Amino acid sequence: MVVTVIKGENKKKLDINGNKTVKDLLELLDVPSETVVVKKNDFIVIDEEQVQDGDTLEIIQVIYGG
Amino acid sequence: MNVCSKCGNPHVIIKKKSSGQILCRECFIETTESKVLHDIRKYKLVEKGDKVLLGLSGGKDSVMLLEILNSLKERHVIDLVAVTIDEGISGYREDGVRIAKLNTEKLGVKHRIVSFKDYFGFTLDDVMKKTSDQPHSRHPCTYCGVFRRWFLNRVAKEEGATKIATGHNLNDETESILMNYLEGNIQNLTRIGPKSESRNERFTVKIKPLREIPEKEIGLYVVAKGLEVHFAGCPYAGESFRAEIGSFINDLTAKHPTIMYSTLRGFDKMKPVLKKEFAEESHTGICENCGEPASGRLCKACSFVERWDEDKV
Repeated sequence: MVVTVIKGENKKKLDINGNKTVKDLLELLDVPSETVVVKKNDFIVIDEEQVQDGDTLEIIQVIYGG
Repeated sequence: MNVCSKCGNPHVIIKKKSSGQILCRECFIETTESKVLHDIRKYKLVEKGDKVLLGLSGGKDSVMLLEILNSLKERHVIDLVAVTIDEGISGYREDGVRIAKLNTEKLGVKHRIVSFKDYFGFTLDDVMKKTSDQPHSRHPCTYCGVFRRWFLNRVAKEEGATKIATGHNLNDETESILMNYLEGNIQNLTRIGPKSESRNERFTVKIKPLREIPEKEIGLYVVAKGLEVHFAGCPYAGESFRAEIGSFINDLTAKHPTIMYSTLRGFDKMKPVLKKEFAEESHTGICENCGEPASGRLCKACSFVERWDEDKV
């Protein structure tokens, strides 16, 4: 399935296999989940939310080092 | 299926590992605001008629606190003024100042912007460029902390504020406890808490209403409320001991979700004993240069400035 991922200024399409949750996706992208809030199709979701083909995921970094 | 523990809404935005509570957007905002207002009452952080000076960087913590303190202002419990301190960190602070201004204008809160450059004639970037190769050079967070405290106290007096509010959160507070313990700074430990308790009247009382809210929940709150916030990391912070401790606490929290709460609770129980044994009332004098509290001839900020003048920095 293909999902659109937005993080800051970057927007990219990602081709991923099988059933994935937001948590899986963050691990795939090497983003620590405790530092971000994720919106799926404009709504805030929790880590265990399932990702589906065509979804747009916005990753908002809310915690920075220091 | 996850549904909100309070109202049953299936659109949940948080599953708290520390308590098991699951909340939708509306219930999360309501619960978080209630918790902060509860802590303000519990620790008597403000009294009716207080004029509160809020240190507003434009970051998530201070923007959330602005929202909550403004609700007390609207109910005529307190008067509120915000101050943004521009340290002069190029490429970082400009956005924070802009966003702080935007938020105060939206709420109709008086806002002052004060800068290191205007008061002292230099920016933090200037200081770091000129002193980083000097043998007695300190970490930028040390300079920044000293001058920010100086500004908060000074502006509070100029504004006639009775309290200074800062957006320190649960992570900040746990980091401070651990850092000071590990470094053996017991004097500093005696000063950690929801409210400063200096008997020196020249120090305005400082309050930390977000002290029991985890940083991640503050991030979630501002996103859930759609607030305009400056999300960025200070370019100097990554090198600090605080950052190392912060990362250690995050790793621990992933495995032990209640660790920050238990650290804070345990510390708060020990604090009266620490204060009794180790607290010293410092800064009884006045800085001969600026009139702020000082332990010696000069306050910390003016002694840095004097040293840089002597070194022709």
